[in-house]
Amino acid sequence: MTPGEHVPEVEPVDPAAIHAPLDEIQFAHASERVAAEILDFYRIAWLYEPTTFPIEWDGQGRVVASFSPDFYLPDFDLYIELTTMSQKLVTKKNRKVRRLRELYPDVNIKIFYQKDFRKLLARFGVASQPVAHAEGGGMIAANLPTSEKDVS
Amino acid sequence: MTASFPEDFRYVLVDETVLQARVRELGAQITHDFQGEDLRLITVLKGGLFFLADLSRAVDLPLSFDFMAVSQYVQGVGGAVRVTKDLSDDIEGASVLLVEDVVDTGLTVNYVLSLLRARGPKRLEVCALLDKPARRIAQVPIAYRGFEMPDKFLVGYGLDLDGRYRNLKSIVALRDEMVLS
Repeated sequence: MTPGEHVPEVEPVDPAAIHAPLDEIQFAHASERVAAEILDFYRIAWLYEPTTFPIEWDGQGRVVASFSPDFYLPDFDLYIELTTMSQKLVTKKNRKVRRLRELYPDVNIKIFYQKDFRKLLARFGVASQPVAHAEGGGMIAANLPTSEKDVS
Repeated sequence: MTASFPEDFRYVLVDETVLQARVRELGAQITHDFQGEDLRLITVLKGGLFFLADLSRAVDLPLSFDFMAVSQYVQGVGGAVRVTKDLSDDIEGASVLLVEDVVDTGLTVNYVLSLLRARGPKRLEVCALLDKPARRIAQVPIAYRGFEMPDKFLVGYGLDLDGRYRNLKSIVALRDEMVLS
């Protein structure tokens, strides 16, 4: 293993591939499941943490740090990372993303911070509340609309 | 500008004068580019309504326009996006310009473009008044762009918060505390 080389944990995917049922996926946070629901709603193919990128090695070339972005969208060749921790806790995550971009410049990754995602939910009419990091982090919906409505 | 909500919670990003001037510029460009074509302007309700109305009057061509509406994601409900109001007219062989108030994640536009493309238009382009690339997921081609916007929650000129503020004549950014409280 050398820097710049990553080992996909799954084979390259067919854009039409269907992910496992949501209930069978161990999402790290409830907000990741909401993101998956949104992608499903808009018929966007996705995989959950399909690839682990080594980002740091010791003197013997062993991987000592790696990074697995939350989603991969094969149709757009895009990784998405949801960072739903409060802003002051994201420094470590930012460092990982920056390192990934340095080592794998051809990899497209987009990071959504807590505020980004909450504003996106607000655009869908879903209010949300952040969850304290000590309680698992992420966020929860503060209201659940009961009917479909036309897109704004 | 109305006093519909407190001054402290919003600020104008694009005022009416600048906005209307840009709409006229876009209209002139579209007039030039679609000469001799069967131009159809299509927008997705409700957000694109005002932009379509102004843009169509800034285009000096014998165009027609039509409307679509699609369902919006509702948490916990499941299902997939679907058309809730379809076009009235066939677009096969026509030159279609999808007129959008804003392209944000691109998810809605990506879906609508796939629907329109399947109906066999001769030409299919996107005209977006506002382009918010910061949260773009689905890369959609924007042939005509009004303004590139920062990642702010915008209302006015068709854009809403819980269905309100669409009728503001300017593009207004809401402060985070108003949207996220």
